[in-house]
Parts: sequence; C-alpha cells; structure tokens
Amino acid sequence: MLSLLIGRHAGRRTGVLMVLAATASFGMTLWLTTGGRLAQSTCFKLEWLPELGIHLSFRGDPFGLFFAMLISSVGALVGIYSLSYIPALANKRIGQYYAALIAFMGSMLGVVLSDDLVLLFVFWEITSITSFLLIGFWYERKDGIAGAMTALQITALGGLAMMVGFVLVGVETGTFSISELVQSTALQQQLAASSSYAPALLLIFAGAFTKSAQWPFHFWLPRAMVAPTPVSTYLHAATMVKAGIFLVGRMLPVFGGSVYWSPILIAIGLLTFALGAYQAFAETDLKAILARSTLSTLGLIMFLYGLKAADQDVLQIFSHAVYKGALFLVAGMVEHATHTRDIRQLGGLKRDMPITFWLGVLGALSMAGLPPFFGFMAKESLYHELLHNEVLHQWPILAWAVIVVCVAGNAFLFAVSFKLIIGVFLGRRCSRIEHVHEVKLGLWMPAAILAGATLVVGLLGLTDLVENLVNSLSSDARAHVHVSLVPNLSDPGPLILSLITIGLGIAIYRRRAVVNHLQSDLNQILPTMQSVWDRSLDAVIWIAVQFSSRWQCGSLRWYLSGVLAFFVGLVIYSLCTGLSLDDVNPKLSNLNWVGLALCGLLAVAVMTVVQAKTRLAAAIAITATGFLVALIFVIYRSPDILLTQILIETVSTIFLLLILFFMPSFARDDATLGRRLWHIGLSCAVGLVMFALVFLSTSPSFWRSDNLAGAYLSRAVKDTGGHNAVNVVIVDFRAIDTTGEITVLVVVGLCVYGLLQARRESP
Amino acid sequence: MIPPSPKNFPAPGRQPERRSDLEDSPILRMVAWGAVPLSILASLVIFLQGHNLPGGGFIGGLLAAVAGAVYLLAFGTQRARRFAWWKISIAGLLIALLTGTVSLLAGHAFMDHTIWEFSAPLLGSVHWPTATFFDLGVYLVVFGTLMTIFVELALEEGS
Repeated sequence: MLSLLIGRHAGRRTGVLMVLAATASFGMTLWLTTGGRLAQSTCFKLEWLPELGIHLSFRGDPFGLFFAMLISSVGALVGIYSLSYIPALANKRIGQYYAALIAFMGSMLGVVLSDDLVLLFVFWEITSITSFLLIGFWYERKDGIAGAMTALQITALGGLAMMVGFVLVGVETGTFSISELVQSTALQQQLAASSSYAPALLLIFAGAFTKSAQWPFHFWLPRAMVAPTPVSTYLHAATMVKAGIFLVGRMLPVFGGSVYWSPILIAIGLLTFALGAYQAFAETDLKAILARSTLSTLGLIMFLYGLKAADQDVLQIFSHAVYKGALFLVAGMVEHATHTRDIRQLGGLKRDMPITFWLGVLGALSMAGLPPFFGFMAKESLYHELLHNEVLHQWPILAWAVIVVCVAGNAFLFAVSFKLIIGVFLGRRCSRIEHVHEVKLGLWMPAAILAGATLVVGLLGLTDLVENLVNSLSSDARAHVHVSLVPNLSDPGPLILSLITIGLGIAIYRRRAVVNHLQSDLNQILPTMQSVWDRSLDAVIWIAVQFSSRWQCGSLRWYLSGVLAFFVGLVIYSLCTGLSLDDVNPKLSNLNWVGLALCGLLAVAVMTVVQAKTRLAAAIAITATGFLVALIFVIYRSPDILLTQILIETVSTIFLLLILFFMPSFARDDATLGRRLWHIGLSCAVGLVMFALVFLSTSPSFWRSDNLAGAYLSRAVKDTGGHNAVNVVIVDFRAIDTTGEITVLVVVGLCVYGLLQARRESP
Repeated sequence: MIPPSPKNFPAPGRQPERRSDLEDSPILRMVAWGAVPLSILASLVIFLQGHNLPGGGFIGGLLAAVAGAVYLLAFGTQRARRFAWWKISIAGLLIALLTGTVSLLAGHAFMDHTIWEFSAPLLGSVHWPTATFFDLGVYLVVFGTLMTIFVELALEEGS
C-alpha cells in the first residue's frame, strides 16, 4: 500500500520529494502503530494470479510495521543528508540517484509489508537491483563497478535460491500467504512432514544469508562501501542487510521446528559475528570498519534467531540501526570535510569539527555498549538471554563457548569504537589534511537525530516505555524481554559479563599494535572467501569463453553439420523405438518413364553441384535441381506445391546471384582427411535418413496412426468454407503458427536491413 | 581474354562490371515493362483465389517479390531505394495480428475466422472468409521482407 504510494513518484527527480514521501510513509506507519490499531493487522489484498494462488497482498503486522517505520524514518533522514552530501553533478545523475533511492525505499517497504511469498521475492529482487544502481553510483570508477557487481551477483543468486525455496513451500502447502503459513499449525505440520522441508529451509537460508551478508557471503558488504555514504547508511546499516534477518524472523514459526534451524543459524551467525568484529579492528578505512562491525551485528541477530530468542530481535535491530546509521553519517561528514576515509591519515579533528566529534562519540559509545546508551541495554539484554536461553541449556559446554565468543566479539567492537573516536578526532593532527571546516546543517542534522536517539532511548530505558515498545513490535507475539538501563543486581550475570567485555576491550585497544600485527600475519595465510569467489567467477567466464569459441566458431559448415547430425540422430532414434519400415510395400506400378528420366536428370544436376569448381556453376546447378523437382510435382499433380517450388527456386536464384560476388572464393582444400570423411559420412547419412523418412510416409501404419491430412481435408470445406486445403491449413487451422512464422520473417528482413544499412554508413 | 578460373575470381566487394550491362539491356527493359505489371496482377489473382484454388498469400507474395526483383534488375535501384519496403512487411504483420484480435474482441478464440456472405452489385453473391485478411497480411509480409532484402543486397552490390 505504502510502496504503491511511493512507487508512483519514482519518476520524479527531486530529493525533496523523496524526503516528503519517506516522511509521509513514516507518519502513516506511526499512525498504524499507535493506539489500538496495532492489534488488528492492516490488510490489503488484490487478486494477481489467482490460478497460482499468488496475490498482491500486503499486511502490516507489528514486526513488519517496525521495519517499515525504520525504513521510512532512516529514509527521510538519508534523503535530507543526501541533499547536502551529493556533490554538484549533472542534474540527470542526481535525478537517477534519487529515483533509485525512492525505488529502493518502496521495494524495501514492499518486502517487509507483503504477505505473499512471491510478492516478497519480487520486491526482494527489486531491492537487489536498486541497490546495485546505488552502489554503482560512481560508475566511472573501477572499484565502484566491481563493488556493485559483486553485491548484485551474490544477492541475486541468493534471491533465486530463495525463490526456489518459496516455490517448494508453496507447492507443499498450497498457499503462498505468509500469514496463513505462520498461523496455521496444520500447514506447518504438513510442510514438516514433506520431503522438501529441509531443502526449502536451506534455500531460504541461502537467500537470507546472502542478503544479510553472512559468512561465507559476507565479503560483498565491505566491497559495497564504494557507494556514496548516505547509500551505505541506508542500505548497509539500516535496512537492506536487515532484510535477510527479517526473512529469518518471518520464517521462524514455519521452519523453527526443523533440526537444521538452530545448528545452522548458531554456527553461521556466531562465525559472522566473531569474524566481523575481529576484522573490523584490522581495517583502516572508516567505512570498511563500520561495514565489518555491521557484519558482526548481523551475525549476532542471526545467532539469536538460532537460539529461538526471537523476542530479542527488535531490540537488537533497532539499537544497531540507530547507532550504526549515526556512525555512517559521521563517517560521511568526515570524508566530506577531509576527502579521505583512511584512519591513518586522520586525527585531531575535534577542534575543527566539534559537532561531528560529539555525534561520533554518541554513536561510538552506543556501539561500545556503555551506559546510558541504547547499545548498553541491547548488550545487557543479550547477555541475559545467553545466560538463560533454553536452547543453550541443553549443551552447557556449548553455552560457555558461545558466551566466551560473544564476550570476545563485543570486546573487539568496544575496541573498534575507541579506535574510531581516538583515531579520527583525538590525537595528533595529520599535516596532510588542511582547510577542515565544520559541515553544514543539512549534513549533521540527520546524524544528530540518530545519535540523539541512541541517548534518548537509552535514558528512556529508565522507564517501561522501551520495554513495551520492543516487546509489542517483536516478531514473537509473546515477547517479554526485560529492558532497562538499571542493571538487575539480583541477577548479576549480565553486568559481570559487561564489565569483562569492557576490560577486555580496553586491553585489546591498548595492545592494538600487537593485535594488528598478528592479524596481518594470519591474513596472509588464510584464503579469503572473496578470492575464492573471484576465482570461481573467473573460472565460469573462462569456461564460457572456451565453450563458445569452440562451439560458436562462425563456420557455417560446422553449424550445418551440427544441425544435420542432430536430425539424423533424431530420426534414427524414432526408427529404432517407434516407427518401423517393415510394413512398407512400395508399388512399382506407379512408376513411369517420365518420372525415372527426371530422377536421372536430377542425379546429374546434383553431381554437377558437388563437382562444381566455381560458385556460379554450383548456383546454376542448384537452380536446375530445384526446377527439376518442380517438374516432378507436375507429374504427380500437386499444383500448389508446384507453384511454391517454382517461385522459391526463382527467389533463391536471385538471392544467389545477388550475393555471389560477396562470397569468398571456394575453399575446398583446407579440409583435412578426417573432416572430409565426416562430411561425406554425414551427407550419406542424411540422404539415407531422408529416403527412409519418405519411404515411411507411404507406410499404411503411418497413415493410420497419425492421419492429420485426412482430418484437414475432411474439415476444410465444412469448417472454413475453403476448398484449398493447403491454404486453409496456413491461414485457418494453423493460423497462430503462421503468425509466428511471418513474425520471424519480418524480423529477418529488419535485421538484414539494419545490418546492411549500418555497414554502408560506417565503411 | 583469359577465361575466368577459380584463381582470378573477383575479390569480395569489388565492383562487378556486369550490372551496368544488364541495366542497359533494352530487351530486358522491354520484357520487364510488360511482365512486371502482369506479374503483380497475377500475384493478386493467385492471392485472392487462394482459399479455394491453388494459391494464397504466401505464393502471391513470392510472385510479387519476383516481379519486383525483375524490375530491380531491369531499371536499377534508383527508384526502389527511396521507398522503405520494410514498412510493408510491418503493415502486413499488423494486419495479420489485428485479424486475429478482432475475433478475440468479439468473444471468440484468437484467430477464429468467419465467413461473410453478402450480395454485392456486379459480383452477385459473395462468399468472403475473414481469413482473407489474414492472408493479406501474409502476402504483405512476404512481399515486403523479400523486397527489403533484394533492395538492400542490390544496393550493397552497387556501392
């Protein structure tokens, strides 16, 4: 509903409009969320392909509305930010940018609000395509193209896998409606009992993991950092990468019973979490640091779904979107002012950019998980969940391992936040950066709103408001997360873990030289997934090139022999399996001397064709063959085919004459012996097969089994009023075939016209 | 004069001398002057009688195109090149498709033909199947496409 509203504006070319649209949809989602309206989900349904059970249905349940709110609010802020951020380019480029941004926002809203799996897939793919356009905004730059391509390849591939998964679900249950699947336990049991349960789950996971950049598909996200910063903020921190998480959250009720659910999500999520946090610390590029830390949070949320702790999702997603969005915007401001993102070249910016500094501090402290920020509450809640989770309680050793990994990962994130603030804003001023100035209001205002939100929501944590909000919006309807800024002293576990995290984080930061050295050593040993992916892509291209240069070599003889060989094989196959030459009894009484004489002449003409030394001679001999065949039709009295044959022969002769002078001279001697044998063998085979086929057509069984001709003849006058059965077949019985044929003819004519015109104009 | 042998066959793209000979041939011109209109007429007759007697759009179109080719050979491409022949083929395709669509709009299946029976002055009782319109499309497509290719190839040779 909202996406339709916005999609209509996609053609317009102004950023202001985008902001307005985003604000409007934000207001609308807010209106839907507040009051008693949240309880009854808003629905909108339109028949699309009723035969396939696919509908244009949208549904605003709390979880979807939460995402819609996130998308539209961050969208509005990013729109404001972009107005100042995007440099003065040609009007068209900026128009393209905003059009893509609006289209992305619309499709993203479509993803979270659609109630139909197929519709969800469609929107999902549109987000892939629009994000490709947005990432590739700097398409003059090589890395811009590479980053956009990688993102598109991976997310589109995952999307296709996901679609197969959806189709499996739809086929098994007979419905594509998400709400039906989620609510009906009968359908879920039916699905769980079927053999496609596990494959569907794995395929849908593939879609979610590629979109949310989980290991081993994580590398597209750092690569996509070539995008303009507002795009990174919007796509890679706040919304698009959350789509995979959204999908997993939606599928939890349907697939949560699977034995694969928890192990896969826990393993992949935890690995991505740890890897992301660890690698974030090694990066030197501001946005790459943020991208890696985003990976880590995405992994964390996946992992929480693996623990079936769905009640945590909104809390974690919300806190991450807010602080990471603020940090990305701050990174963009720093880049805007200094024209670099390399943390090694930055430093001491606090004096010149005080606003940016304080905003960065707010965001980073929230990421570090310090009180009184929103991030602190999220982390406390996470530790509380880890200590009390039911799934983890089954395996105590695993539980401890998980806790250790989580603490270590969060400690790395803590160190990363400090590295950001100290590296960029404090310390010695790098001499290479000059003329630094504070950014404009339009740039810092959106960041201030987001950064302020981390603080305000954190302070609101003193009341019940955040807890109620988080629980009511969660995908888990029975969510009862306890969220508070005040640590619960009767249950000191989370607080202790938080303190350990902070201590460890400070230790890592102080020892950063050692850690970074260790990391660079490790990186040289381990192959990255990125290089594996690049190599496999290269291999695919290599195979394609090899195949097409061998197969599509441009030699007409090769193509013709391929077609003929296939024909021979097909006929021989059907002769072996179905048809048989046994019951053919040729009647020699129909023979007459004229026919025999014509056949003799034909044989002579054909021999002349083969023996011809020049093309002209061959052309004349071929024409002679054609007219001799026409004479045979005279003897056997089929005037229609006779007419056609004569005219076709005339036309082909004219063609031959027209193109004769452009043909290369006869190349007869380049053929090797093996190739000649192949040509001779193939020719003989074609001749024999054609002979067998014609012979077969006189067989009585052939007539009986498939008597199409009789049917046409008997029905021609009655049904169509025409007495010429050939013509009636062309224009009436098989009129649609004829339409296809004449279309091909027109296309061929236009191709010849276009090709020759272009050739003449550019000599 | 050395007789042409495979070795000194004209190289691709070279201007052949024979064309101007043909274009100057008064006999060919005379024949074409009479034969081309007659052939076009014959092609129309073949096309119109196609439903009941040998003929039809395809053959009629072929015959018309052959007549066009003779015209090209006799009088050169100067006049023919000014006309966009491909437009005829497009028009034919549209006519054929429209014929099918009309029956669709009338609530029948796509390409469902009917027969118009009416009496007209001079002709008496006329028996006219709508399939003729479809056949007209085929005629125009065949004629237009072949003429496009002929004219283009002839231009190529003359250039």
